[in-house]
Amino acid sequence: MSTPNWLYANPKPCSHLSDYKLRHGLSGYTKLNTCLRASPSGRLSVRIEQEEVMRCGFGLESSGCGERRRLLMCLVCGSLMCSNHSVLHVQAQSGHGVTVDVERSELYCSLCCDQVYDPEFDRVLMCKHVGVKPRNGARNGGVETGKMRFCKRRRLGLDLGLSRSEKQLGFVKDLRAKSCFPFGLRGLNNLGNTCFMNSVLQALLHAPPLRNYFLGDRHNREKCRKISLEKLCLPCDVDAIFTAVYSGDRTPYSPAQFLYSWWQHSSNLATYEQQDAHEFFISMLDLIHEKETKESCDLSKDSGECTCVAHGAFSGLLRSDVTCATCGFTSTTYDPCVDISLDLDTVRRTSTNKSAKSNEGGSTSTLSGCLDLFTKPEKLGSDQKLYCQSCDGMRESLKQMSIRRLPAVLCLHIKRFEHSHIRKMSRKVDRHVQFPFSLDMSPYLSSSIVRNRFGNRIYAFEGDEAEVSTEYDVFAVVNHSGMLESGHYVTYLRLRSQWYKCDDAWVTEVDERVVRASQCYLVYYVQRAFHHAASEDLGCLPMSPHRDTFQPIAGCC
Amino acid sequence: MVHPAEDNLSHTQLSSNVFEDLLESIIVDVASECHRIARLGLERNLEEEEEELRLSALARAGVADSGNSSEANNKYVVDIFGQTHPPVANELFDCMNCGRSVAAGRFAPHLEKCMGKGRKARLKATRSSTAAQGRQTRGSSANMNRLSNGVPGAAGDEFTNGTFEESSR
Repeated sequence: MSTPNWLYANPKPCSHLSDYKLRHGLSGYTKLNTCLRASPSGRLSVRIEQEEVMRCGFGLESSGCGERRRLLMCLVCGSLMCSNHSVLHVQAQSGHGVTVDVERSELYCSLCCDQVYDPEFDRVLMCKHVGVKPRNGARNGGVETGKMRFCKRRRLGLDLGLSRSEKQLGFVKDLRAKSCFPFGLRGLNNLGNTCFMNSVLQALLHAPPLRNYFLGDRHNREKCRKISLEKLCLPCDVDAIFTAVYSGDRTPYSPAQFLYSWWQHSSNLATYEQQDAHEFFISMLDLIHEKETKESCDLSKDSGECTCVAHGAFSGLLRSDVTCATCGFTSTTYDPCVDISLDLDTVRRTSTNKSAKSNEGGSTSTLSGCLDLFTKPEKLGSDQKLYCQSCDGMRESLKQMSIRRLPAVLCLHIKRFEHSHIRKMSRKVDRHVQFPFSLDMSPYLSSSIVRNRFGNRIYAFEGDEAEVSTEYDVFAVVNHSGMLESGHYVTYLRLRSQWYKCDDAWVTEVDERVVRASQCYLVYYVQRAFHHAASEDLGCLPMSPHRDTFQPIAGCC
Repeated sequence: MVHPAEDNLSHTQLSSNVFEDLLESIIVDVASECHRIARLGLERNLEEEEEELRLSALARAGVADSGNSSEANNKYVVDIFGQTHPPVANELFDCMNCGRSVAAGRFAPHLEKCMGKGRKARLKATRSSTAAQGRQTRGSSANMNRLSNGVPGAAGDEFTNGTFEESSR
C-alpha cells in the first residue's frame, strides 16, 4: 500500500539506518512484530515473556546492569539494553546501532542518539493493528483494510452553478443596482421578535452554494407552482427573499411571506415568542430538504448522499468510535450532520500566563479549543457501560468523535447554555470565544484522529484523500447579546474583505476588530475554493471609498 | 522477583523508584510523540493560530478602550445606504391570512393571533396545570441549548418570559 506522500514529510533515514536496511531488509522488523502486543489504548509494546520484568542485560553475566527504564532492543541480535549501554553495544559490535524502543515501538539509532523513522517499519507495525483476521474481527480498531474508497467527487461546483445566469447578469444592467456596495446587502425588517430569523437568513443569503442555487434560478417559482401538488413551498419563499435582497433595492425588506410560510410548516415553533437562531436554522434546512426531495424524482440515492441544496451545502458526516477500555475493540458508526454543536472548552488560565500576549480582560475560550474538546476521547462513566462484542459483556468505554466528511459550508454552534442541577436553573455563558477568520479543519478529520490513535504511523489511513480541502474562511457570524430569555441577534457578514453588521433593518460597515471581539453564537465558514469564487462574482463593482462607520452616503449612485 | 541490587532498599526508596520510572516514562512518551509529529510534518500551523489569537486579543483590547458602540444607540443611526429607520418597522402590507393591513413591526404578533397559533391560542385550547406558574414548555422538540431573542413587553403585547426545559448537559 503506497503511503500518501503529500501528507507526510519524507524523513530521510540516517546512514546507519540505510546500512542496516541494506544488510537486513525487513527481517528484523518482521521478527520484532512477533513480540509485539497491543494495549487497549492501541499502543504497541514489546513483550518477551508474559511474566518477566524486562531489564538491561548488558554487562554482568548473570544479571546485567538491571536498568528498567527506556529499554532498547537491538534489531540485529535482539539483546535488551538501556540507552547508555546501547552505545557501548554498537561500539562492541559494529552494525548493531539500530534499535527499537520497547515501550513505544519507535526506531532509535544509538549512534545518532535520536529517534528515526522508516515508512516500511510503520507499515509492518500497522499490520499488527489491522491483523490478518477478517474485517469484522477484533483488534480492528477502526482501520479499514482493502481498497480505499475515494469520496465521490462532489458535484457541488458544477451542479450548483458557479456560472452566471440570465438572472444575475440582469442585475448589473439595472440602474438601481449600480451602487458602490456589494450585491445582496439589504436590511431585513424585524416583524416582532424575529431577529433570530433575520440573523440566520442574512447568513444563508451569503452562503455561496445557496446563493448560486437560488440566483441561478435552480428553483423556479413558476415551474414549481405548476408541478407542485401543494400550495405551500418554502423553497419558493426562500427564492423570493433572494430575489428581493439581490434586486439592488436597498430599503429594508420584510420577510413576511416567508414567516407565514414557515409557521405553516412548523407549527410547534409558530409563536410570537423568543426563539433560538440555531433551532430556526435546523428547521429551515429540514423544510427545504423535505420539499426538494418530495418533488424531485431524483433517484441518486446511490451512496445515500442527499443532493438537495440544503444538504449539498451543509451536510457532513461525523464518525463516532467507541473503544472498550478492557480489550481495545473499537466499534465505529457514522452519522450525518448539518452543523457541529460545540461545548465550551475550559478557560485558559490567563492569570498564570507569563507571556506578554496574555489577555488582561477576563477569561476567553477558543474555537479550536472547543473543537479539540469535541474530538477528545471521552471516558464514559461507569454507569454508562456498553456491550463489547469482543469481551462479550458490558464494559467501560471510551468515545471519540471526528469528522469523516466536511461540508462545503460549515456551521459551528457554540453551546452557550449552562445548566445548574443545584440551582435548577439555566443561564447563558457570556464568555468570549476567540474564532479565527481562516480555519484549517484537518486536525479534526477522522483520518487525523485515527492516525493519532495509532501513533501517527506512516500509513494510508481511511480518509486520506488528496482532493479533500480542509481550509475554510469565515463569511458570517451570528451574534447573541443579552440574557438567556431576552436578547438580540445580529449578523456580521464578510463581503469582499469588508465586514458589515446586519442588525435587522440596519446595515452598517464595521471594522474586523469589532467582529473578532464579538460574542459569537453561530459561526459560518465556507471552503476556500468557494470563497474565492464568491469574491469574484462581486468583484465587478468598486468598493465603497468610505470606510468610516455611520457615514451617511446620500443618494448613492 | 526482586533484582539483587534492589534487595536492600527501603520501602520509601522503592516507592520513589517506581514514581521516577513512571514519570520518566510519561516524559519520554510526550517527547517521542512530538518528535514524530515534527519530523513527519504533521504539526498544526501554530504560527497562523498564534496570529489569530494575537489579532483577537488586540481587537478585544481596542474595543474595550474605545468604549462600546453597543446596540443601545444603533436604532438612531444612519445605515450605509444613507437611510434611517424607526425602531418598529412601519412598512405596511396586507396579511396573507386575513387580508388586513399590518405594520411590518407588528406582523408577527398579529399573525400569531390571526392563525390561531401561539401561546394564548394554545392556552385557550388546552388548560394544563403547568401553565399555572407561568412556565411554558415548548413544542415537542427537546431543548438542549436555546438562546432567545426578543424584549419582554415589546410591540405593546403582554408577554412573559418563557423558560427552558432542562437539558442533561
